[in-house]
Amino acid sequence: MMSPKRCILITGASRGLGRHLAEYYLAQGDLVIGCARSEAAESTISHKYYRHYRVDVTDAPAVRTLLQEVQREVGKLDALINNAGIANMNPLALTPVETARRIMETNFLGTFVLSQAAIRLLRKSSAPRIVNLSSIAVPLRLAGESVYAASKSAIETLTRVAAQELGAFGITCNAVGPTPIDTDLLKGVGKEKIRRLVEQQAIPRMAQPSDVAHVVDFFLHPASHMITGQVIYLGGLG
Amino acid sequence: MDSGQIQTIIINALHMANQARTDDNQLTVAPDAPLFGDNGQLDSLGIVALIIDIEEALAESGCNVTLTAERAMSLSQSPFKDVPSLVVYIGERLRTE
Repeated sequence: MMSPKRCILITGASRGLGRHLAEYYLAQGDLVIGCARSEAAESTISHKYYRHYRVDVTDAPAVRTLLQEVQREVGKLDALINNAGIANMNPLALTPVETARRIMETNFLGTFVLSQAAIRLLRKSSAPRIVNLSSIAVPLRLAGESVYAASKSAIETLTRVAAQELGAFGITCNAVGPTPIDTDLLKGVGKEKIRRLVEQQAIPRMAQPSDVAHVVDFFLHPASHMITGQVIYLGGLG
Repeated sequence: MDSGQIQTIIINALHMANQARTDDNQLTVAPDAPLFGDNGQLDSLGIVALIIDIEEALAESGCNVTLTAERAMSLSQSPFKDVPSLVVYIGERLRTE
C-alpha cells in the first residue's frame, strides 16, 4: 500500500456523517485521525491508515494532547473537519439552560478549541484547510431549534473571522451547511417535521453523506486556495 | 526551563521572523526589544505568527504550553509588550500548566 496522501482530522468520527467522511477519505488514500467521546470497538474503523482517539472536543487539554500525538506520529496536518455536534430539538421556552450550554460547548466551543489547537500543525501543510459543519437550520431560522441553530450560526461567524485571521498562514476556513441527512442527529425528529423542512429546499430531498463529502472535497482541493470564509448550503438554501 | 532559555527561544523566533521580512522591514532583535502595543514593532498578525513560532520551539524543547492571554491585545498591559514581559509570562505559564 502506498503512503497516505494527506492527514485529515475528523471530529465526531465514530458514527453518522463523521464516520462516513472518515471512511470516504480513507478510501481516497488519506490518513484519517478520528476522534469522538466514545471508542466502543464497534464504532471505530479498522483500517491501516485510521487512528481513533477518545477525546471530548470541549476538553482543551485533551485536544492539545491529541494534536501533540498527531505531531509526533505524522508531523503535519492537512485538514481539520470540525464535524462533532449535538442537537436537541426543543422550543426556546422549554430548553433547560444546561442543555443549551451543552449544545453551545460541543458545537461551537469544540470547533473553536480544535481550530485553535490545530493552527501550528496546519501551518506545516502545503494546502492547509479547516472545514466546519453548519446547518440549514441557520438560514431557515427553524422554530424549535433555537440553540442548535444559534450554535451553528456562531460556527459560521467563527468560520468567516478565522478565514481572515488564518489567511496569512495559507489556511483556508470554510463551512458546509447540510440539509437533513438520515443520521443519529435526526433521531427523535418527527417525519412530518422533516418533510416540511425538506419541502422548503430548492432541491426538496434529504441529502446523502456523499453530498456533504462533495462540498468538503471542493474546500480541501489544492486549487481551492482562494476559497475561504465561505458557507455552502446544500439544497439551494441560504 | 529558566528565564535565559526562554529569552533565547524568543530571540531565535525574532531572527526567524526576520528571515521572512524585507531588509527595510527588519525587527529589532534584543533582550529588551519591544514587540506589541505602544512602540511595538509587530502588528496583530505579526505577534500571532511570532507566538505560534515560540509555542512550537517550546514544544520541541518538551514544554507544551499554549500562550493564550486574556489581555493579549491590550496596548498597555499585554504580556506580549516586549521581550522581558514575554519571558516573565512564558515562565508563569510553564509553572502553571
